[in-house]
Amino acid sequence: MEFERYLRNQNAISPQEQALLAQKRVVIIGCGGLGGYLLEQLGRLGVGFIRVVDPDNFEESNLNRQLLSSTLNLGKPKVLAAKHRMLAVNPLVEVDAIQEGMTAANATDLLAGCDLVLDALDNIPDRFILQQAAKTAQIPLVHGAVAGWQGQVCLVLPGQDLLNLIYGDSEEYSGEEQETGTLAFTVGLIASLMTAISLQTLLNKEIPERKLLLLDAKNLEFTKLSLPISSSKQQWAGRD
Amino acid sequence: MITVNTEESPWHAGMTVRALLDEKVFTFRHIIVRVNGEYVPEEQYDSYPIKDGDDVMVLHLMAGG
Repeated sequence: MEFERYLRNQNAISPQEQALLAQKRVVIIGCGGLGGYLLEQLGRLGVGFIRVVDPDNFEESNLNRQLLSSTLNLGKPKVLAAKHRMLAVNPLVEVDAIQEGMTAANATDLLAGCDLVLDALDNIPDRFILQQAAKTAQIPLVHGAVAGWQGQVCLVLPGQDLLNLIYGDSEEYSGEEQETGTLAFTVGLIASLMTAISLQTLLNKEIPERKLLLLDAKNLEFTKLSLPISSSKQQWAGRD
Repeated sequence: MITVNTEESPWHAGMTVRALLDEKVFTFRHIIVRVNGEYVPEEQYDSYPIKDGDDVMVLHLMAGG
């Protein structure tokens, strides 16, 4: 059954790598737009253990983009929908559903035992809490964020603190998405790129470090920026 | 010429961060600007000079998920 299930993963993923994926444990912080697509893709790829963390229940305004939301589960916990979805799609994946908000107090516990963490959050301050927790846990953080037609992805290895360069000195809670909205295709695109980065990282493949990939879906443009090595969040080179 | 987010862009004498943002139609409210790596606070956009050859980065602040 397992061989058949993952047949079309071959030979992009070798049988040995497929077996390795089954041993991997990831945690997705946020189970909304990005989080739903991340769960779907990582689960179908065959990642063995996926912890999903989100305190919220589905609302009608989630229906425009959140894969796990439907008219049938409005008012129900997002993480519960995640668990049910993966049970239906790939019961080989263990889903640990935690209906809690991530805070500085529990972040380290939420990341415990995981090989990689995915940022599917919806605000800036929580992302800095997550970056610190990933640094403490010494695991890679795959960052993604969207606003309207735009989005960005970045792999943050422990100690690189790349979110400091991306968000700078901003003390804002939110970004452009307050004005430009959050669209299904942007969320899907960014989640897919985050999944690709996660897969590469989990399989110990070399991927370019310190790159911020910007998506502008309106103009069909990708821009790859290099983030410099610096201890100061004031520094930036910007050239690739 | 200057570089804006890795792409070459024309430069002219007297160019400021504000002038560049207007020319490039960076009209979003939440943006981060760095010139040759140096963070430029919003209150300096009108006065901060951009010199020929400068490397400018303009990032939109995005946090949706």
